Amino acid sequence: MSFATVIPKRPGEMLWFGLLCLGMMAGAVGVVQVLIHGHDHVYNVSREIPWGILISTYVFFVVSSTGLCLVSSLGDVWGFEKFAIIGRRGHLLALLTLVTGFGTMAMELNHPIRMGLYAIISPNFTSAIWWMGALYGFYMVCLIVEFTSLMRGWTRLAFWSGLAGFFAAITAHSNLGAVFGLLEARHFWYGSYMPIYFIVSALASGAALTVLIVYFNHKARGIEMPPVYQEFMYTMGKLQALFLGILLFFVVWKIIPGLYGQPPEKYETTMAWITGPLAFNFWFFELGLGILIPLIIVANRRTRTVFGVMIAGLLSTIGIFFMRYDLVIAGQMVSMRPEAVEGASHGLIHYFPSFTEIGIVIGALCLCLFLYSLAERVFDLEGGHRH
Amino acid sequence: MSNKRYAMVLDTRKCIDCKACTVACKAENHVPLGRENYRNWVMEEALRGRYPNLGQEFTPGQCMHCANTPCKRVCPTKATGVNADGIVTVENKKCIGCKYCMTACPYNARYYNEEIGAVDKCTFCEHRILTGREPACVETCPTRVRVFGDLNDPNSEVSLLLAKHPHRVMKPEMGTKPYLFYLI
Ligand code: SF4
Ligand code: SF4
Repeated sequence: MSFATVIPKRPGEMLWFGLLCLGMMAGAVGVVQVLIHGHDHVYNVSREIPWGILISTYVFFVVSSTGLCLVSSLGDVWGFEKFAIIGRRGHLLALLTLVTGFGTMAMELNHPIRMGLYAIISPNFTSAIWWMGALYGFYMVCLIVEFTSLMRGWTRLAFWSGLAGFFAAITAHSNLGAVFGLLEARHFWYGSYMPIYFIVSALASGAALTVLIVYFNHKARGIEMPPVYQEFMYTMGKLQALFLGILLFFVVWKIIPGLYGQPPEKYETTMAWITGPLAFNFWFFELGLGILIPLIIVANRRTRTVFGVMIAGLLSTIGIFFMRYDLVIAGQMVSMRPEAVEGASHGLIHYFPSFTEIGIVIGALCLCLFLYSLAERVFDLEGGHRH
Repeated sequence: MSNKRYAMVLDTRKCIDCKACTVACKAENHVPLGRENYRNWVMEEALRGRYPNLGQEFTPGQCMHCANTPCKRVCPTKATGVNADGIVTVENKKCIGCKYCMTACPYNARYYNEEIGAVDKCTFCEHRILTGREPACVETCPTRVRVFGDLNDPNSEVSLLLAKHPHRVMKPEMGTKPYLFYLI
């Protein structure tokens, strides 16, 4: 591990770190609020919608992690030479998004410390959340070993830990889909769609973040992007066109069965998502920013430039954040006892995150970016080729 | 001594929506103040008919002590369990507050109790029935909507009521096999 010397001190850098610190402070204020007043007083989650934006942000982070791991393993594990250049950075960010994701989830749990104890001495093997902890734990170990091996140039270990990490990512992440998919009570989530969809959307997420890493890494250093990276960006653009196309297919097939024949509860949820309280999120963020605009950019040869691919990645990432939010909230919006909820219109329950919740989310996003930016300064992340 | 299978039979035609059961339960079980904190409830069904010929029914409910228990299945630390007599329980010290059980319960029977630091719900007043008393909601109900007892005993009042009257359960399509029965 050598200290990188290539980073010039640029004025923009100070601003970047300054902004991140501000964001982290917002998060810290949120955390202090929770510790002083308790979840009940500062979160907007309720008896009817117990999972809010902290859970959806957790999902966003771990989807990112899985996607980054899958995409960056293409080089080190599956032998696609072109992808080897993002091995180190991809795995590092996969690790950091995973850790910040865990942190965000811990803020939603009432007793994160109790969890550590009773998940071990009183495990319930029929619980998808128990498996989520176990599998993501194993996945995290794989990522740590993989990253260390890539940094040290231990190619054999890098290969085997990468291979284990690849499968751990798929298992853990499809199991996360199952956390939702195994709830018979929630018609919008229930079924095998969720585990499959989570894996597919992870690919789009990972591809988007990968191009952002490559682009901003050169931008921040103020250096011209070498041809090998430019070539990589074009390849990622094409790949992203495929991933986004598949994602669009999944969105369409989530909607049609939700409307066709007006299946109880599923129909109300789908309508809430596409025409109700979540409609703006859906049409503008999810579909527009998240899928259609980036898809047009990367599918068109003329706009599939280095800059274009980066913009597509940025838009997708923002859109995917809202995809997670809508998915988690929509699934809980239909009341289990519609008549009983005062103020619920058409049996729908509303949720909007509190300042504290939003603060913690901003804090977590900034913390993740901060740790990554710091790592860029501390580690030599160039390379990552198999020696 | 053989195990019991506790159940409750409710005759909703007698319910006058006085909510004495909710109050009694809150007092008995130290349920914290707050609109979202309750172990049992009374649901106002939609009005039937047209003025002046109107009808309405009130349906009390609480944890159904399901035999096929989604809340127990999803609980990562086995905080939610089922005792030998069919009562679905929560062991406070094991509850991590993940609220998975709250998303899994099709009846919205659970809430997070900040005072005890765990998810809370109806226990059929386990502490009372151990000493031979009835659950607080049953004891207090002025029109005797609620009857509580052991279905393993063929001569108990609940067994006799279910033998005599047609009845239904809530959301049977969920496959949860609830043990709150509503007379039709
Ligand atoms: S009613 Fe809900 S809380 Fe009670 S046993 Fe059934 S699923 Fe569990
Ligand atoms: S909130 Fe508590 S009782 Fe419910 S699933 Fe989580 S640990 Fe179990």
